[in-house]
Amino acid sequence: MLLNNDRIFGMLMLVLAVAYGWGATQLPEPFGGNEVVGPSTFPSILAWILGLCAIYLIVKPDPSQEWPSAKIFGELLVVVVVLLGYAWSLDYLGFILASFACVAILSWRMGATLASAALVGLGTSVGVFLIFDIGLELPLPMGLLGGLA
Amino acid sequence: METLNFLMHGFGVALTPSNLMFAAIGSILGTLIGALPGLGPANGVAILIPLAFSLGLPADSALILLTSVYAGAMYGGRISSIMLNIPGDEPALMTTLDGYPMARQGKAAEALAISAIASFIGSFIATIGLILLAPILAKFALHFGPAEYFALFALAFATLGGVTGKNPVKTLLAAALGLMIATVGIDHNTGTPRYTFNTLELYEGVDFIIVLVGMFAISELMFFIEAHAGAGHQMVVLNKLRLKMSDIFHVLPTAIRGSVLGFVAGVLPGAGASLGSFICYTLEKRLLGNKAHFGEGDPRGVAAPEAGNNAAANGALVPMLTLGVPGSGTTAVLLAMLISLNITPGPMLFQQHADLVWGVIAALFVGNFILLLLNIPMVGIFVKLLSIRPMYLMPIVTLVASIGIYSLSHSAMDLYFMVAFGIFGYVLRKIEIPLVPVILGMLLGPEMETSMRHALTISDGSWNIFYSSGLSIGLWAIAILGLILPTVLGPLLRGKMNKARQHEGQKV
Repeated sequence: MLLNNDRIFGMLMLVLAVAYGWGATQLPEPFGGNEVVGPSTFPSILAWILGLCAIYLIVKPDPSQEWPSAKIFGELLVVVVVLLGYAWSLDYLGFILASFACVAILSWRMGATLASAALVGLGTSVGVFLIFDIGLELPLPMGLLGGLA
Repeated sequence: METLNFLMHGFGVALTPSNLMFAAIGSILGTLIGALPGLGPANGVAILIPLAFSLGLPADSALILLTSVYAGAMYGGRISSIMLNIPGDEPALMTTLDGYPMARQGKAAEALAISAIASFIGSFIATIGLILLAPILAKFALHFGPAEYFALFALAFATLGGVTGKNPVKTLLAAALGLMIATVGIDHNTGTPRYTFNTLELYEGVDFIIVLVGMFAISELMFFIEAHAGAGHQMVVLNKLRLKMSDIFHVLPTAIRGSVLGFVAGVLPGAGASLGSFICYTLEKRLLGNKAHFGEGDPRGVAAPEAGNNAAANGALVPMLTLGVPGSGTTAVLLAMLISLNITPGPMLFQQHADLVWGVIAALFVGNFILLLLNIPMVGIFVKLLSIRPMYLMPIVTLVASIGIYSLSHSAMDLYFMVAFGIFGYVLRKIEIPLVPVILGMLLGPEMETSMRHALTISDGSWNIFYSSGLSIGLWAIAILGLILPTVLGPLLRGKMNKARQHEGQKV
């Protein structure tokens, strides 16, 4: 097969190696410079190693692993969106609400029924909050629930 | 005698009430982590590092907590091997061969008890080995100059794939990626910003803890989603324990032989716990021949690999502590912990932080006793936990991982980075590029670059310095062997391990 996983990845890595190596040549000479080894020596070596490995992968790739179907990709996308949403809303919603939503959605997407997912979400978010914020004195954001405390 | 003195001092550190408590908590957590599906030892320790860090534990307590977790995880891995026929981690693979058949014959409790005793013997003997060997190696390592260190780091990467590793080019590529991530930020030697794209967040570099947790925990969650493994597995019923002293004496010689072999395999670069347990099992099988029924539920077939992999896990601490060069994924994570506590492992560790090192070594002993005590009476509870379904467990684990990362600097930015590295880790695993070299590259990158610069400064720019001493030539030779051997031996050994497994599978 011409477009094998390893081959595509190898090409990406080759591009990265060239860009990284070029970046190394652009690094400013250190103040009072003219040392035998500057800040660019080590990165240049790395660029060469990565480039050679990438070329090897392009020339001699391993057999491709199967990628998941479009449906599973959708599922994975949901997970990523949930995690990013968690990070985004954590300060505003507060730990308990955001964690409740995050855990409940994740466990629902992994196959739990809605009711048990909600229950696990609730139990975990409150339980973990109690353990870490109150038990271990690790401050977690209160967010919207801040007025209640 | 000097060593004994230090060790006594170490026990003084490890036996303070608070540290004793941390050792106990760590042992319990570790056993859970090892037993629960989808949470290998490396993953579990990785998740706990930022938490130990944010809770502001003193260095010795944090270290004792996490090494107990490490030791506990090695114990826990066997539980799912025996009860589910699913190895908790790779080294526990060989334990399934006789452990699961024993469980099916209604001797699950005996299998668990014997494996706990074998694990104890393995760890115990290996800790003694560690005490004897580590100071000697540390003294020897004082002769290393920067050129030798550079070669040693190269050796660490070359042998990381292990003799059973698949494609050495992919190991090398992964290492290069990790080293490249490590160069982001202000250059320590000259103050030049590198690859920062004028972004303030990148000036301090990329925090390896975020990469670690993202790559291990988040990518694991994605793999679970992909495999639809939310429902869990069928489990064997646990019977009541009927273990006689004679049963223990029966497996004792096997366990001791396994421990010694496992320790050696753990210390050597590139061998590691997987190979350790494999060698122990096959040798024991050959040694006992027809007198034993290996593969059909022979207790000695449980004892050999368990003693072997626990001994190897402790043996792997020798190069990690004395040279700062870990030989396996989990020890790489322990190295991450040391570095995040601002402790540089290596020969100087035994001089500068003698209290700490010996405290940790003593904690290994203490933790080992706690684990044995926990594991015989409490194994029923751990087994119950196995039946927690991943669809509830994985989201909770993800949550705890996120708390750890968030608490590092209380910014959502770190969480975004964590998710991004999770996706990256998922892609890398999909194309079978190992993650451990990436992590190790990030950890060793700064040290490696510094030693290269020192060497070149000493030699006034001549690259000959890297192969000017017998020691460094030897290190390079092993490194090159480490890259070439797997391509020759790898398919052979892997084939044998699979064949052994399939063969036993048919009998069951």
